[in-house]
Amino acid sequence: MTMTSPTATSPTANSVVTAPTTGPQPCAAPAGGTYLLTVDNVTKSYGHHVVVDHLSFTVPPGRVTGFLGPNGSGKSTTLKIMLDLARADEGSASIGGRRYRDLSDPARTVGAMIESEAFHPGRSGRNHLRILADAIGISPTRVDDILEQVGLADAADRRAGAYSLGMRQRLGLAAALLGEPPVLILDEPGNGLDPQGIRTLRDLLRSHAARGGTVFVSSHLLAEVEHLADDVIVINQGRLVAHGALAELQQAASLARSTDPHRLAAALERTGATTQAQGGDGLVVRGMPIDEIGDRAFAIGVALHELSPHAGSLEELFLNWTSEPSTDKEVSKP
Amino acid sequence: MTMTRLIRSELRKLTSTKMPLAFLAVIVVMAGLNAFAVIAGTDMDGSKAFIATAADQRSLTAFAANAFMGAGLFGAIAVAREYGHHTVVPTFLASPRRHRAVLAQLTAVAGVGGVLSIVGAGLTVTAVALALPTTDYGFLVSAGDVFRVIAAAAFAGAAGAILGAGIGAVVRNVGGAVTSAVLVLIIAPPLVVQLVSGSGSWMPGILANVVSGTATDVAAPAAVAALATWAIIPAMIGLIAVRRRDVV
Repeated sequence: MTMTSPTATSPTANSVVTAPTTGPQPCAAPAGGTYLLTVDNVTKSYGHHVVVDHLSFTVPPGRVTGFLGPNGSGKSTTLKIMLDLARADEGSASIGGRRYRDLSDPARTVGAMIESEAFHPGRSGRNHLRILADAIGISPTRVDDILEQVGLADAADRRAGAYSLGMRQRLGLAAALLGEPPVLILDEPGNGLDPQGIRTLRDLLRSHAARGGTVFVSSHLLAEVEHLADDVIVINQGRLVAHGALAELQQAASLARSTDPHRLAAALERTGATTQAQGGDGLVVRGMPIDEIGDRAFAIGVALHELSPHAGSLEELFLNWTSEPSTDKEVSKP
Repeated sequence: MTMTRLIRSELRKLTSTKMPLAFLAVIVVMAGLNAFAVIAGTDMDGSKAFIATAADQRSLTAFAANAFMGAGLFGAIAVAREYGHHTVVPTFLASPRRHRAVLAQLTAVAGVGGVLSIVGAGLTVTAVALALPTTDYGFLVSAGDVFRVIAAAAFAGAAGAILGAGIGAVVRNVGGAVTSAVLVLIIAPPLVVQLVSGSGSWMPGILANVVSGTATDVAAPAAVAALATWAIIPAMIGLIAVRRRDVV
């Protein structure tokens, strides 16, 4: 298995913000080493519909990376390509430098939750996990342990079809964690969980990353990702629109209050920045360093009352990134 | 080692739902119907000539043709539901080299199909043997012939299950897989016989009877090979489809 350092990765061609250099460092490497996930120029079409379009990014170990995008943006297809459940038309995906199918013990290297309803409704939760344990060569006692860990021990012998949505999510999570893998790839793991379950999930994933594990979580629960993720990767229409440390992305805007916000907005947008009105005299400016905003305001004779870094919410950023047809936007720090 | 794990996993899949019990219930009913036929049935002339000889009784107990059809449905449901319930996803995550997963699935389905067929043949023989004392005839089938009837059922059951599994892997939803299996096993053979003269001897029902020793249309080894071919072709198509397709 390829061992990789849990250090920050260099940005890919489509990356718009430098990769993280801060954040929690691993306390101890999980069993099996640390793994960098790489998606390299992946394209996937179904018929004439391009679902994933020359997508490249990396997911470093030791951090929780959120994978965001509107419905139908290609998130699930990307995850399936990473796990060899779908075949890319172009490009490749690797886990620790190897394709999923080439890993010596894939299910104990990567714990994946792709389909939360991937169980037979007539089968008990315990039997569902025993089937997986049989397939990957894990002791049945581990099944009991993981059922306890996800809070399903009391319901383990009930039909999974009678489980609530939250319990089904827990069962899916238990299946992903069963092999104690160093890499977790989870598609919408928070769906249907109650606040306590969300909290447990967050603690679990953060501690996994803190031990050097690689955690890649697709979600549309932006508030949850804001609490959970160190880094985010955002795609829209199959293309990368933002990639980097969440804290840095949230700071990648400036607030400019001026005497003539309309003229200032026009001047800034002519040079490629994006602006959004805020209040009567304010503009949130993205895509331009803060110094340059000041220089351009001075050049057109607009007096600035305030020019400061603007920390946007993830929701605000997400809507901004995904509200227009995707292009590789340049989002630079103010 | 990997194959052993996968086969164990597939066997647990098959035995951890009520589907085998449902098929077992059908088998029990079929055995009961055979017993009822022995007790209450008569020929057109009101006699019991249909159970008068060892050959007649052997024909009555020959379960292989039923096993081929029943196990075909069993295999089709067992595999198609994997796709319907997405339980194939964790299987392919555990075994991304999908041909191994498919081979394990075929092995497990064939095994359970074979066992169910042995139970079916055994119950049928037992039911007929228990019912015969109510008539003027005793049980005349030799131990060797009973063994052949049961062995033929096991083989036909395993082959039918593989055929059904192949159909299930191609069609991927239970309703469609069952419909396709019924088409292949029940509806298509008589149509083919009508269209292609001389093909009747190569239809599954006749081949199963030849393997059981109750028909002589073709040589027994040829019947075994032909029945295996009926199973292997859809299984190969299923295997190729599973390897090439995305899991969506």
